[in-house]
Amino acid sequence: MSQYLLDKRDVEFTLFEHLKIEELLKLERYSEFSREIFEMVLNEGHKFSLEKLAPSNEEADAIGARFENGQVTVPQAYHTIHKDFCESGWFAPVHNPEYGGQGLPNVIGVALIEMFVAANSSYMFIPGLSVAAAHLIEVFGTDSDKALYVERMYCGEWAGTMCLTEPQAGSALGDLTTTAVPVEGEDYYLIKGNKIFISAGDQDITDNVIHLVIARVPGDPAGSRGISLFIVPKLRVGADGTIGESNDMRVTGIEEKMGIHASPTCSLSFGDEGQCRGYLVGERCRGLQYMFQMMNEARLVTGLQGVAIGNAAFQAALAYAKERAQGPKVTDRSADAKSVAIIEHPDVRRNLMTMKAYGEAIRAMLFNTAYLSDVALYGNDEVEKTKSQDMLDLLTPICKAYATDVGFKMTELAMQVHGGYGYIKEYGIEQQMRDVKIASLYEGTNGIQALDLLGRKMRLKNGALFMTWLQDTNEFLESIKDDGVLGGLVKDVEAAKNALGEAAFSFVSTGMSDPEYPLLHATPFLRMFGLVESARLLLEQANIAKQRLAQLWETRGVESSDATAREQLVQENDAARYYENKIQTAKFFVYQILPEARAILKSIQSSDRSALEVRF
Amino acid sequence: MKILTTVKRVTDPDMKVKIKPDQSGIITDGVEYRMNSFDEYGVEEAIRLKELHGGEVIVVSVGPAEATKEIRTALAMGADRGILVETNAELDSDAVARVLAEVVRRETPDIIVIGKQAVDSDRNQTGQLLASYLDLPQATFAYSLEVADGWAVVGREVDGGTSTKRVKLPAIITADLRLNEPRYASLPGIMKAKRKPLDTLTPADLGVDIAPKVRVLRYEAPEERAAGEIVGSVDELIDRLRNKAKVI
Ligand SMILES: Cc1cc2nc3c(=O)[nH]c(=O)nc-3n(C[C@H](O)[C@H](O)[C@H](O)COP(=O)(O)OP(=O)(O)OC[C@H]3O[C@@H](n4cnc5c(N)ncnc54)[C@H](O)[C@@H]3O)c2cc1C
Repeated sequence: MSQYLLDKRDVEFTLFEHLKIEELLKLERYSEFSREIFEMVLNEGHKFSLEKLAPSNEEADAIGARFENGQVTVPQAYHTIHKDFCESGWFAPVHNPEYGGQGLPNVIGVALIEMFVAANSSYMFIPGLSVAAAHLIEVFGTDSDKALYVERMYCGEWAGTMCLTEPQAGSALGDLTTTAVPVEGEDYYLIKGNKIFISAGDQDITDNVIHLVIARVPGDPAGSRGISLFIVPKLRVGADGTIGESNDMRVTGIEEKMGIHASPTCSLSFGDEGQCRGYLVGERCRGLQYMFQMMNEARLVTGLQGVAIGNAAFQAALAYAKERAQGPKVTDRSADAKSVAIIEHPDVRRNLMTMKAYGEAIRAMLFNTAYLSDVALYGNDEVEKTKSQDMLDLLTPICKAYATDVGFKMTELAMQVHGGYGYIKEYGIEQQMRDVKIASLYEGTNGIQALDLLGRKMRLKNGALFMTWLQDTNEFLESIKDDGVLGGLVKDVEAAKNALGEAAFSFVSTGMSDPEYPLLHATPFLRMFGLVESARLLLEQANIAKQRLAQLWETRGVESSDATAREQLVQENDAARYYENKIQTAKFFVYQILPEARAILKSIQSSDRSALEVRF
Repeated sequence: MKILTTVKRVTDPDMKVKIKPDQSGIITDGVEYRMNSFDEYGVEEAIRLKELHGGEVIVVSVGPAEATKEIRTALAMGADRGILVETNAELDSDAVARVLAEVVRRETPDIIVIGKQAVDSDRNQTGQLLASYLDLPQATFAYSLEVADGWAVVGREVDGGTSTKRVKLPAIITADLRLNEPRYASLPGIMKAKRKPLDTLTPADLGVDIAPKVRVLRYEAPEERAAGEIVGSVDELIDRLRNKAKVI
């Protein structure tokens, strides 16, 4: 399975031809880079994924993380991987070079994460959480916190975690009970409480683990408004970075779970002896705010798990479908008709094409959003920066929820293509399905994402974010509506986009009289938005592919109407084949998948409240 | 120590090769390229020699402008400077050896470590030809290399076993795949590579005529392998091997 991670051509197309990321080189922050460097980084990242990360994925799943005598261990292979990963500089590729990051654009970062996660999703929790925690310290910590922790965490010397969840406080973090009590004359608070489900909460690779813990100082407001954020090292750290005694926190257990077996999901106990020191980050009572400012980043990475594992499963299914022979081709009527590869069967092709269309759409969606974050952070033009931030805010819950649901769906289709061989362990599909599922649950469940989209993002700036998105989409559709090849698709995308608008506006009025009604449809609405955004992106890609094809035909002297010459070119030229396929992909998505958007509108307009009225 | 190594830009060996309809060559449209894998061993060994003995690693490629990518990869691994001898001409091994010989004359390295062959054409000649043009000692198919006091001791993989050869430097060593494990270019290495010098010359600048001595008549795909068959017993297998395949 390890040899099938992704379609590198599609990654490069999305980055360089669709998103035109070379534009980023014009920004001060990225002026030192070049396309050549980006390509080298992607090549080396791909090589590393294939040769270093992927080989232990299956074995690590079988061994799993262990908890014995109070100590968490991860598979031995991860020790080697971690060393190589850090030495090669992959630990913090997009973060601040002042602290040991590599300063690459986020959009290159997401392309790398796709490869890494596709190759070994359990290992990636260690860098993922360490870097996220360190970034929080970098942005909100004091100068001495930054000096102490950030570089060590960006380089993988120490790991980090995010400790939010408690048994009674999952989606509702305001209900947490962990406390932080200030100590007279000291710069620390004493932390007491239990956290559960903490990813990479401990391991036997790094010398120290720096936990970012949310807790309440007694007397501060109840609910989410009274939550503060603390740095809580596993082992105490001297001012010069030397590691000292235990900080009175321990692991009390790890979870047995469906997937990501090699990523320890820990229960942590802080301050059993009343000696656990935590250092306040930023101001009191602003802990959740700080967390949420980093949320876009974390949610995009979670969405990427869907992109990575879904696409890896698609690649495996595609290869399998070309090898597995079963049954004759339906058009072969001869008496001794031979079995053909299953890829010849229409039903299998539909499954493969569904995966291809979904997979390319969610990749484009995630990469596009990462690109927006680069412009929002480092753009030259204030108007463009604000607009990019707005679109990033609007699209993030969709990237998280839609991409992870679709990623899971792709593993299911991949299993279907494998038949019984997908259900057994041999081809790695069942592991992919188990590994990807978590992404729809944590970082805010997908249900919570739908609430965020409908309840918050659609209303931000009085709905201006959505209006901007609509306007951009309209302009794009208008620009290609007379196109001979794609014009036919425009009509359908336009209708789906209008359905989305209609649904959004209908909630405004129904929500006034029946506040539960829109929430009943929040998840389908998010799905609908994901579908229309997918169609828009695939159509943009098809439009570029069409232009590239025209150039190819011209240089080769191929007439666009000459089907034989076109076929010949496709046979000989991988680029031609890729571009022709891009157009087919947009078509398939628009005709076979997008109609669901209009069906969702119909259900939204039904006024049906049965799910609310049923007596369970 | 001044160490010279070479890289060739080759079509990705994992890709399916397609032959042009007129059989004049292979189709290179939309094909992926990468560094010849035997050159990775050569580059790695050159960098190790530098790490051990100090000095400088020069990496040379003869080929199209795009081969700067493969040179940059070697620079990212740790080589110090690059030279591209740029040409779009079809090159035979002899022409490449003549170009390299001229570069060596100008650079006067203490040792030349290169891949034993390229994975695209699999010719396995350039190192040998280079040694002969320069009239320098050679040790091919190296699986181990130790350098001391102006001599190199080279463990070589030869048919049916290994042999050890001691050569006086400067010499040409060609790397086999058990020589080392090539390192990965690190991200910081990639960033540094962009600032390392890379000179571009042409064969004319070097005064080398690259006219080929080998003429390719046509390319043909090997015959499709027929499907295997499953035999019923060991006896049957032996019978087939003896009487049908005639291999035992
Ligand atoms: C493997 C794994 C790793 C994890 N890693 C971490 C970690 O590193 N750090 C960390 O802090 N946590 C982590 N978590 C915890 C994770 O973030 C929570 O499980 C998640 O936030 C959901 O909380 P919950 O499980 O309590 O579910 P609940 O909040 O009980 O939700 C149950 C269901 O109710 C729905 N729901 C809840 N509230 C609402 C509402 N207001 N409106 C509509 N629907 C609602 C949810 O969408 C969900 O469908 C991890 C969990 C797992 C399983």
